[in-house]
Amino acid sequence: MIKVSSVIKKYDDFTALDSLSFEIKKGTIFGLLGVNGAGKSTILSILNGLSRFDSGEIKVFGFDIKKDIKKIKEISSIVPQDLAFYEKLTVKENLDFFAKIQNATKENYDRAIKINTLEDLLNQRASTLSGGQKRRLNIAIGLLNNPQVIYFDEPTVGIDPKSRNEILESIKGYKKLGITVVYTSHYMNEIEKICDDVAIISHGKLVEQGSLKTLFSSKNSNLEKHFIELTEGANV
Amino acid sequence: MFSAMVKKEFLLVLRDKHALMALFVMPAVFILIMSVAMKDIFSQEAVSFDVALVDLDNTKISKEFVADIKKDKSFHIVKKDDAQFVVTLPKGYGNIENTKNPTKVQISVEDSLKSDMIEIFKAKLMKHIVNLKLGIIKTRLSEFSDEAANAVGAVSLSNNELFTLKYNKQDDVPNSTQQSVPTWIVFGMFFIIIPMSTIYINERKQNTLSRLNSMNISVFSMTMSKIVPYIFIAQVQMWLMIAVGVFLVPFFDTPALSINGTVGALVFLSFALSISAIGLSILIAVSASSSEQATTIGGILNILLGAIGGVMVPKFIMPESMQKLADISPMSWGLDGFLEIFLKGGDIFSVLNESLALLCFGGVALMVSMIILHKRIEGGL
Repeated sequence: MIKVSSVIKKYDDFTALDSLSFEIKKGTIFGLLGVNGAGKSTILSILNGLSRFDSGEIKVFGFDIKKDIKKIKEISSIVPQDLAFYEKLTVKENLDFFAKIQNATKENYDRAIKINTLEDLLNQRASTLSGGQKRRLNIAIGLLNNPQVIYFDEPTVGIDPKSRNEILESIKGYKKLGITVVYTSHYMNEIEKICDDVAIISHGKLVEQGSLKTLFSSKNSNLEKHFIELTEGANV
Repeated sequence: MFSAMVKKEFLLVLRDKHALMALFVMPAVFILIMSVAMKDIFSQEAVSFDVALVDLDNTKISKEFVADIKKDKSFHIVKKDDAQFVVTLPKGYGNIENTKNPTKVQISVEDSLKSDMIEIFKAKLMKHIVNLKLGIIKTRLSEFSDEAANAVGAVSLSNNELFTLKYNKQDDVPNSTQQSVPTWIVFGMFFIIIPMSTIYINERKQNTLSRLNSMNISVFSMTMSKIVPYIFIAQVQMWLMIAVGVFLVPFFDTPALSINGTVGALVFLSFALSISAIGLSILIAVSASSSEQATTIGGILNILLGAIGGVMVPKFIMPESMQKLADISPMSWGLDGFLEIFLKGGDIFSVLNESLALLCFGGVALMVSMIILHKRIEGGL
């Protein structure tokens, strides 16, 4: 389980996270929703050990983020919104590089290629890939270390519906492998399609958390409508 | 892990054609151009002039004068149309009886000649005229007194007999190739700012550095992995530039580079210089917010350090105050070290001061870079 308790993060006078708390169950796909500037990227950055926070507590599968960040980084992976790989290298060179620096096993290496159907693209320069293929490479890199939890920061931005669908299907597949997925997106239909649980944050605070089924039944509404009601007034 | 990072860095640089042009082709071309273009300025050989002689007098004295000039290696006798100076001996020049209003030698000068060259020519010609006059005086005197005539005849205007001339620091004055090769090695090495900042800022902008950091790659490892390939590149740069100086420059009738010092000194100095250049490049790359900004700042800083440090204008012709100012530039330290090796046959110990200064500069720049990068990653880049 990932447990975020009363986390506060300030940038000078601006409070990015205001006593934020939520829990993510192991082996689920967890949707993190919020308007721009709500604090989604900040909490993802903190969960990956890239940013520090001012107060509060975070435990990732029992490891305290302040004490065991190295261990947490070993069992986590982030797929950033940006295409965080090297365009001048081939697909294989990129995968080889990220695999070697994480001591990835051959099994994990092959699995990352297979899940993201990159077999036929290995010798192609990354710069020549299509938008969807680049996204798949970005995701494959995130799978190399066989993470227990993988964080997706809006992974389907700017790609065609077919590629988006393929990516969403592959993400659903991770759940079967026992990987916990934390997923942020602006597309409510994506969240509805793949997530088990959802947390909605606004102005750095948790507005609502629960399973997708519970949210639907209690509010008798669709997620997008509910999201707009909760975050009304915020800068979407 | 480290080898993978080094390999990645190598591949990225080798696939950047513009970077390779800036690092290898540009300095090599500059060495060729500057060595050839400046060979006369740096030459310490005697000055020679293209001279045409017109003897309208055609007397014994005028013929003696012409013969005397022809013997002088400073004067290269050419046709009138090709001459920088046309020396005309007018009719009556050899008339030694005419003492009240003697006929003068007439000199016409090519328009483009500088005044200092004209002054040198006049001084050289003056020696021959004075020689001629002394000969006439001797002849005249011999009619009255052999002793007096012999005393005049003993007067010599030869440089070797009149004075001795010695350069205080002749070894410090390089020829054009000895000046150009180290200059463009130093300048070229500092040009790594272009590929380094482009790669670094792309990594930063695309969150690849954050991703690496999330994979437990420390800022220290990230920085160190960048140093290794560029040290290798700097070595290749140096030996390529030396090869241009040794093998290519002589094809253009310009002196070849001679390496009087030890290979160990060259490797040690270039290692220190590359650390300095890499440190400064990484510092600019981590501080700048875009690759355009980094290449602009890096370019301006390179030119400034080069101008101060003796790349644009050789240090030995700068005024003393500027020479002191030059000492603040790491390019000047590198240049001094190379000149020590090329000109004076320096070894590792001769270039120890310059090398340690460069290593310290690079070390401080790298440390500051790592602090900035660490803070940037923490702040989400």
